Amino acid sequence: MNKRERRRLRLGLAFTGLWIVGIGTFTAWPVIASLYYSFCDYSILKAPVWSGLENYRELIHDDLFWKSLRNTLFYAGLSVPLGTVVALSLALLLNCEVRGRSLFRLFFYLPSIVPMVASAMLWLWIFNGQFGLLNWALAPLLAPFGLHPPAWLVDPLWAKPALVIMSLWGVGNAMVIYLAGLQDVPRELYEAASIDGATGWRKFWHVTLPLLAPVIYFNLIMALISSLQIFTQAYIMSEAANGNGTVSDGNPARSTLFYTIYLFTVAFYDLRMGYASAMAYVLFLITVLLTWLATRAARSRLQHLN
Amino acid sequence: MNPHTRLGRFVIYALLVGLSLVFAMPFVWLVSTSLKPIDQTMSLPLTFIPRAYYAEIDGQQREVTLDFTVAQPGVVAEISAGPEAGHRVFLSDDQLARRSADVRVLHRVQPGWWHVTVRINSTRVVHPGEAADPGTAGPAPWDLVPRSSIDSHVRFRWRNYPEALATIGGDPGTPGSAAALNHVSFWVFLANSLTVCVLGVLGTVFSNSIVAYGFARLRWPGRDAFFAVTLATMMVPFPALMVPLYGIFKMLHMVGTLQPLWLPTFFGSAFNIFLMRQFFLTIPEELSEAARIDGCSEWRIFLRVILPLSKPVLVVAALFHFLFAWNDFLGPLLYLSRKQTFTLSLALQSYESQTGGVQWHYLMAASAVTILPVVVLFLFTQRFFVQGIATTGTKG
Amino acid sequence: MLAACCLSALALVTGGVRARADTVSPDGKVHVTYWDKWISGYEGTAIETTVAAFNHSQARIVVDYYITSQIDRKTIIATAGGDPPDIAGLWAQNVSTFADAEALTPLDSFIEKGGLTKEQWLSRYYPVFARICQHGGHVYAGISTPATMALYWNKTMFREAGLDPDRPPRTLAEFNDDCRRLTRRDPKTGALAQVGFLPQEPGWWPWAFCCWFGGSMFDGHSVTLATNPHNVEAMRWMQGFTSQNGLSDVKTFSSYFGPWASPTAPFFTGKLAMVIQGVWYDGYIAQYKPGLDYGVGPWPEAVPGVRDFGMAEADILTIPRGARNPGAAWEFIKYVNSSNPQARTRDELQGAELLDFLQEKLSPLRVWSPYFAQHHPNAHIAVFRKLAESPHIVCIPDMGTWWEYYREILSAFDKVRLLEATPEQALAYSQERLDESWARYRLSLERHGQAANVAAITPP
Repeated sequence: MNKRERRRLRLGLAFTGLWIVGIGTFTAWPVIASLYYSFCDYSILKAPVWSGLENYRELIHDDLFWKSLRNTLFYAGLSVPLGTVVALSLALLLNCEVRGRSLFRLFFYLPSIVPMVASAMLWLWIFNGQFGLLNWALAPLLAPFGLHPPAWLVDPLWAKPALVIMSLWGVGNAMVIYLAGLQDVPRELYEAASIDGATGWRKFWHVTLPLLAPVIYFNLIMALISSLQIFTQAYIMSEAANGNGTVSDGNPARSTLFYTIYLFTVAFYDLRMGYASAMAYVLFLITVLLTWLATRAARSRLQHLN
Repeated sequence: MNPHTRLGRFVIYALLVGLSLVFAMPFVWLVSTSLKPIDQTMSLPLTFIPRAYYAEIDGQQREVTLDFTVAQPGVVAEISAGPEAGHRVFLSDDQLARRSADVRVLHRVQPGWWHVTVRINSTRVVHPGEAADPGTAGPAPWDLVPRSSIDSHVRFRWRNYPEALATIGGDPGTPGSAAALNHVSFWVFLANSLTVCVLGVLGTVFSNSIVAYGFARLRWPGRDAFFAVTLATMMVPFPALMVPLYGIFKMLHMVGTLQPLWLPTFFGSAFNIFLMRQFFLTIPEELSEAARIDGCSEWRIFLRVILPLSKPVLVVAALFHFLFAWNDFLGPLLYLSRKQTFTLSLALQSYESQTGGVQWHYLMAASAVTILPVVVLFLFTQRFFVQGIATTGTKG
Repeated sequence: MLAACCLSALALVTGGVRARADTVSPDGKVHVTYWDKWISGYEGTAIETTVAAFNHSQARIVVDYYITSQIDRKTIIATAGGDPPDIAGLWAQNVSTFADAEALTPLDSFIEKGGLTKEQWLSRYYPVFARICQHGGHVYAGISTPATMALYWNKTMFREAGLDPDRPPRTLAEFNDDCRRLTRRDPKTGALAQVGFLPQEPGWWPWAFCCWFGGSMFDGHSVTLATNPHNVEAMRWMQGFTSQNGLSDVKTFSSYFGPWASPTAPFFTGKLAMVIQGVWYDGYIAQYKPGLDYGVGPWPEAVPGVRDFGMAEADILTIPRGARNPGAAWEFIKYVNSSNPQARTRDELQGAELLDFLQEKLSPLRVWSPYFAQHHPNAHIAVFRKLAESPHIVCIPDMGTWWEYYREILSAFDKVRLLEATPEQALAYSQERLDESWARYRLSLERHGQAANVAAITPP
């Protein structure tokens, strides 16, 4: 490296110095430490003792680990596609030249910036089996068929779908992104397609979707990563709706025992930080894997479309 | 559907209006519940508009709560003998037939009549042995009356809001009592939240702008590799960092304070670096070149040339972080144990688990209070929000 | 920009300073931070009164009481963070776990400094409460409020069903019979209108029902959840309530239950005729449903010959490791775990009896003062006292993994009562998990040089 380059390097490091400290202290070190702890028997008040692969071996045999993983994937598998479809549909509607677009956008976007705790309280109340808004609306619709609306958060079958419904309320963020993406599509392409005789649906499929594809893929990945880490609403709602006054164990019947909740329980109630670190690492690897897979799929699809 | 035909446009508007109503309904319900007295939150059938009800009990027009309806005809009677003498009971016709000896019939009751109880207007918790309605002995007076004789008008219970805020930090108790000393005022929670948010915003704007400048406006060996690593860190889930981060803050003696919640923002964050770098890249290189020719150091160029032009992205980053810090729950849950240090989100959650039974009207009022600043902030800064989201989401 | 830097630096520095709490205040007294869970209501007022009485009784120490929710998790976090409270009011099930995690200061030396041996100190309690305070051969806790559980029944509902309201069921057979007669359906819809008993209300103690049938959780060495046939029998009995009444009927019916301590609790609103609840329930009935006509009595006889089965729990006081004022903390714990055995008036009540009088619970000490015994506000206290004295009373086992065990039992109970598994299947599943976790826990203790804790487990 010559003198000029060295000078430039120094300058670059000077400006990014804060971030070097930041990434080192708050990301790199914890990631490495997590790895170390995952091979240890570490209870927060006693020194960590090396235990080799014991935590990982136990993880494979731990039924609750798999259950929490299944619960999380179930939730992600429902909320991410449904959320994308809803967000995209709303964006398509708003993209038509409607008057008062910013007002509609307000209604759709606001729920996504509300504090999750407040949101959880509100939906806890809405899902109440007896006095809740949802069942009040559903009961007359189901009555002619002789059905009852479900008890939502106290019914193991319906607790996760309830959380999915709640997540759909917050698609405003993705909707705005899709709307911006839609507005980036050049007019001329639509006009050209019309000249070629394409109708609305074909225009969507052949013009809109391919151009929007990168945006959709990016947001799908972000949504996936974030839904894998679901914690706050599940923590609050399962504890409250099934309150034994004890720690949230994904009640009822562990149907809302999500990955991060189980991790939190193991770390701060069972005081097994080593095991929790192993779980955290597995989550990290799963996230990386899914991101890589999604990116590859996206890239090949994009190439194919272009 | 074709947006260019009349029918198409009608359908689109209808869908938009309908969906807006669906999305807005939870908010409406939130506000509606927050303005009701407790008994109306848990009465069937559901009502949206809180009302005050009046009925005649013992010859006096009193404010009452509607409890339930009776399904069978019967009588309201007073027991005239035995250990329950003086008690007023409802008896169905066959029960009356069995007990006609020791009761005195007051009046008949038809099916569908409402059981109403005199409203007790206090938020005070009734202690064992105390009368529920101070001033009278025993439980509150009640009666069974026909629906038609109940008057009502709309009344919003605005008192729920100050009462909820007064109790969110615990029972206020009487001044000077131990309960009062234990009580944490809502303003303390608000101050804690604001501290974390404001300091976090300062840190975010300060550190990320500097770092993003280094990535966007300077060329140096290893820059792109470092940036790729930066992006990669966005994939690390917070749980993977949770336990060691806790250990770091424990070493720094910061566990139990608000510092872990805002201190890291002074050292950059991958998302904001990405956001600001995107923006800095759009500023023409000529401006920097001209300043360099004039002999300015990079730091001066940053301060005098780039920053003034970057107000939009700085505002967006500030807004996003403010929102994140205001809404954050897992962070406070992890580090804070003393109630005086709680942020609003944690206070709201502990409020819910406070008493034996959830007081929905108070809980909804408190929730509304935590939501309101966010709504107000959004209404004033919509433009920035939308722009910011679009920039991150579409260029990703 | 410069201003921002300065502000941040200032915040950094002062934030660090603010983290430390002062213990010796300008008034020259030692301030003891005491965290406990008692919230508003009569239980909260009682603890505040007791703290005030202690502060009044001497001039050196002032106890500051802070209401803390999720106190077990918060105590661990604070202890790990190096800034624990001086006294943490935990639950009985936390003793073994926290002691093994080295989160608690043993109280043995404090007891001995006061002139008593450990055995003398512990002999003042009812045996079941003495068991709760110990782990690994040491005393780690004092009792703040004890509780025993009994059968509550709704006399009005008994009367309506044609049963004698003053005679609760005495045997399990009578209990089952009474339940059948107390279960009613709406004649029009066929839905359940009232049920005699449902084990999921409040649903905190499925393990106690297992012990009631003669089962056990732990024999001192290994987990006996699935290996003891009485546990299976008990689970089958609990499942019976759902299978006899119909799963969807019970689900719909229980979705109308309000929380156990609120005006809409099923026992208060005529939905359940009988419930097993603790000594605290009297106070809640008076608060939320005054005028309810109910009775309190002992558990029916499930194992032939055992007429005085009971179950005990306690809220405890501990001194976390690293507390700044352990000596002063001990003074308060000692106060709350002693009493004036000759008290003849309300003002003469002290310590345990003062607290338990105000919380309307029993005293953990064997000797009761005349005033406490005769003027207790809880009309049924004699029932609870008798249960505490019984040789057949059970409490949770002295296991460091009890928290995990408890969650497993709750999960097995959920499966069983929702008819998702047979009792054998549910218990076998949990047994396997618990065997592994107990083996792992013992291995971990050995690794950390704490094998002695396992060897000295207090026998059940």
